[in-house]
Amino acid sequence: MRILCVAEKPSIAKAVAEHLSGGRSETRNTRNKYIKNYVFDYDFGGQPWGNCQVTMTSVLGHITAVEFPSEYKDWRHPPPERLFDAPVNTVIADDKKDIAKNIETQARYSQGLCIWTDCDREGEHIGHEIREAARKGNAALTVKRARFSNIERAHILQAARNLIMLDDRQVNAVATRIELDLRVGYALTRFLSNNLKGLGGPLANLVISYGSCQFPTLGFVVDRYFRVKNFKPETFWSIKVKHKKDGIDVNFSWARNRLFDRASVIILYERCLAAKTAVVTKVQEKPTKKWKPLPLTTVELQKMSTRFLRMTGQQAMTAAESLYNKGFISYPRTETDRFDKGMNLRALVQKQGQDNRWGAFAQNLMDGGFQQPRDGRHDDKAHPPIHPITYAAPSAALNENEKKIYEFVVRRFLACCSEDAKGVATDIDIQYGEESFHAHGIIVLERNYLDVYVYEKWTGTAELPKFTLGERFEPREAMMTEGKTAAPSYLTEADLIALMDANGIGTDATMAEHIQKIQDRDYVRTVPRSGRQGGEDDDAENSDEAPAGRGGRGGRGSRGGARGRGGRAAPQARGGVMEFIPTRLGVALIEGFDRMNFETSLGKPFLRKEMELKMKAICDGQTTKQVVLHESISQYRRVYNQSQENLHVLKAVRAHFYHDLLLLLYNIRETDFLFKACRQYIFDNAAG
Amino acid sequence: MDLAVQIRSGLQRQGLPMPTLEWVQGVLPNRNPMPPLQALIATAKARLMVVDITNGTVLDASAPALPPNLSNMEVVETKLGRDVLVQVLDIDNLTKSKWEQVEELEAIARGEQTRGREMIRLPTGGEDDDEVSYSSASTQALSSAPGGARAGANGASATPKNSTHRLVLQDCKGQKVHGLELHRIERIGIGTMNIGEKILLKKGATVARGMVLLEPTNCTILGGKVEAWQKAWIDSRLTRLKEAIENQTRDG
Repeated sequence: MRILCVAEKPSIAKAVAEHLSGGRSETRNTRNKYIKNYVFDYDFGGQPWGNCQVTMTSVLGHITAVEFPSEYKDWRHPPPERLFDAPVNTVIADDKKDIAKNIETQARYSQGLCIWTDCDREGEHIGHEIREAARKGNAALTVKRARFSNIERAHILQAARNLIMLDDRQVNAVATRIELDLRVGYALTRFLSNNLKGLGGPLANLVISYGSCQFPTLGFVVDRYFRVKNFKPETFWSIKVKHKKDGIDVNFSWARNRLFDRASVIILYERCLAAKTAVVTKVQEKPTKKWKPLPLTTVELQKMSTRFLRMTGQQAMTAAESLYNKGFISYPRTETDRFDKGMNLRALVQKQGQDNRWGAFAQNLMDGGFQQPRDGRHDDKAHPPIHPITYAAPSAALNENEKKIYEFVVRRFLACCSEDAKGVATDIDIQYGEESFHAHGIIVLERNYLDVYVYEKWTGTAELPKFTLGERFEPREAMMTEGKTAAPSYLTEADLIALMDANGIGTDATMAEHIQKIQDRDYVRTVPRSGRQGGEDDDAENSDEAPAGRGGRGGRGSRGGARGRGGRAAPQARGGVMEFIPTRLGVALIEGFDRMNFETSLGKPFLRKEMELKMKAICDGQTTKQVVLHESISQYRRVYNQSQENLHVLKAVRAHFYHDLLLLLYNIRETDFLFKACRQYIFDNAAG
Repeated sequence: MDLAVQIRSGLQRQGLPMPTLEWVQGVLPNRNPMPPLQALIATAKARLMVVDITNGTVLDASAPALPPNLSNMEVVETKLGRDVLVQVLDIDNLTKSKWEQVEELEAIARGEQTRGREMIRLPTGGEDDDEVSYSSASTQALSSAPGGARAGANGASATPKNSTHRLVLQDCKGQKVHGLELHRIERIGIGTMNIGEKILLKKGATVARGMVLLEPTNCTILGGKVEAWQKAWIDSRLTRLKEAIENQTRDG
């Protein structure tokens, strides 16, 4: 019996062939220089195949693409709105023809097809494309799929013996997304570009590409930009109480924090002073913890990389992908933040024992320090959290980014398997007049996971002097202070990823691409963050009661503390963090859409979020491709029609932009920007 | 006439000021036989809560008013000598900057509101008709999400424990005084307290530098509202906030 195995990319084909053949496979070239066929014998164990002759090959991602028939090539005729219901053809992309041919030919000699694409929705669809190509050669093939999430040997062997079926629901969900992106993307890109060209001049060649994820992503950047721009500082007042006891200075903060009315604060302050003495109303000393991190998801990996590793989300994903292909880490696209109880985590920890940076820490875990990781609330049922598979020595052939990502993945994993940091928190409440004040101190006792997880800090605030309940004292100093609110800062990539995540824009695997795309298209630019900074509060502790100001983030657990509104300034600025600022074009586009389509602006996340939810519903079997296509296309068509009716609004915004651009045309930066925008002429159908 | 007197004394026993007999008669239902006295007292009380108490025909001339010159900032501290019924003319949350409140109102006006980082879409009246056609599970999931946010739209969502509000209060003579929330009172909040709502300030309440210091022990929130005032207050809130910010910028 002959079985054809097809992986999503050559590195996986090679690794799987290596494991299944025990290193005894024969390598044959194909007409594509990247694709090899590996031939070997393997016993699948009888379900449904036994001892077989196997040909293992791969594709290079998607092999098919969708396109409109040639009569729709012209941008103006038929009019763009016809693209909402024009026929769509699935074709094999020109550069993938030899790959498809290889599969078709190999299928002719085979009785079975086993698909080894990555186990996510996109991978499922690629599996479907492979199945279609193979059936051209042999319509009678038995088709199976291997479920795996890393290319470690035992895992692969296990997957080969437990084959499953291709999930057609997931295939349909992706097919729906691809078709919608094509129709909506083409129709709106042509609509926008045609109308901009109408303004003539140097913009005649500008193409405004539309993507249903890009626009909401851009919308977030523009939204924040206006929040910063429109911000109005306001003065607030507060009361601070200082005292010195046992030679220790202690600062008490006001329970009301601050009030935006001077007269009220003066009255309250006066009454404090009139009281002369303060009384201690609460003294509490209790153990506290700083929780170790949750197991690593894709979104978290991207956020952390942009914050601590000086990489963009996309660079991080590229590096992680490469580490996965080389077998060093597990599949890097996962929403899961809990480890399956059956996983042998200790064995993975042990592999890190030889390292001279974190080896001692890993060894210590092996010697009894090991603790089961915390369980997050997310499980995509496909992949475990990102974790190291094998040890990569510092000398391993990895590039700089890969090394940084590997180190991060390992440290995070070891931190997960370690123990929470422990300390003692002291809370002292006093009443001074009728006002309450509070002091809080922490002493760190055991650093535990912090020793390996260098990205987090937990500095104990100064020790507090001993106070006893009911004690009266005359505070050394009570001051009325004044301050001003500060504008929020521009979005960082981590903020943007968090926003996309919370609003369901893109999947965690595609977010980085969308962020890259709005930069490539010159809708936004990044600039290094400077001056006063906001940022997530790293020194927050997780005591048993939720600390004030850290409201729960809905269903998203403790991923990334939400920053308070109004832009509180955080203590330290971090070098290398980039902020996103929209270009004039980006602002004009979002403003145009917001004004044209008040109800369902394409610059807002709602329409896209709904689409993502519908994709999920297809996967869950609650709806079908046909229903979703019909619903979503009518929604977008309605927005399109609305846009057409309100074209004058768009043109007004755009004319303004155009005018600005003319004035700046000889400015090098703007010329450069125009040039780049022109290069975007070829619409990328992966626009999402 | 006898019935009106009984109702009046019933209201008085609840600590309320005495309305005029004419007013009480005006609120008596035109029914025979009359409902029981307790029901009539409750009706009269409910009606009292929704009227403008400065209207001379409502309260008897003997109704207690705030002492004149109560708002004098020179006076460090004084106590109210008797219970006084007042109505709320304005509420200000001193804990939030005006700009933050403006941003919230504008987000609601756009049909969005943020919950944590999530932008939530609020259902708007007209749109429901258009969208009856969708019935997929996902759409339902979507439309159920704003449920929690709707409370937020009224501002009634979780007013934090350390919030401090300042009210403008008015007595039956039309005298105004500020009330500062010295200790948190649950029913005071933008969205939870109405304009025209009645508060009974109790004897002994502290007035410092012309501001009544409100505590749960020295005031009873009676409820009610004056519908027209409430509507006008809500409609003009955004404008008022923006003007206040402009004025501050100019002064500062």
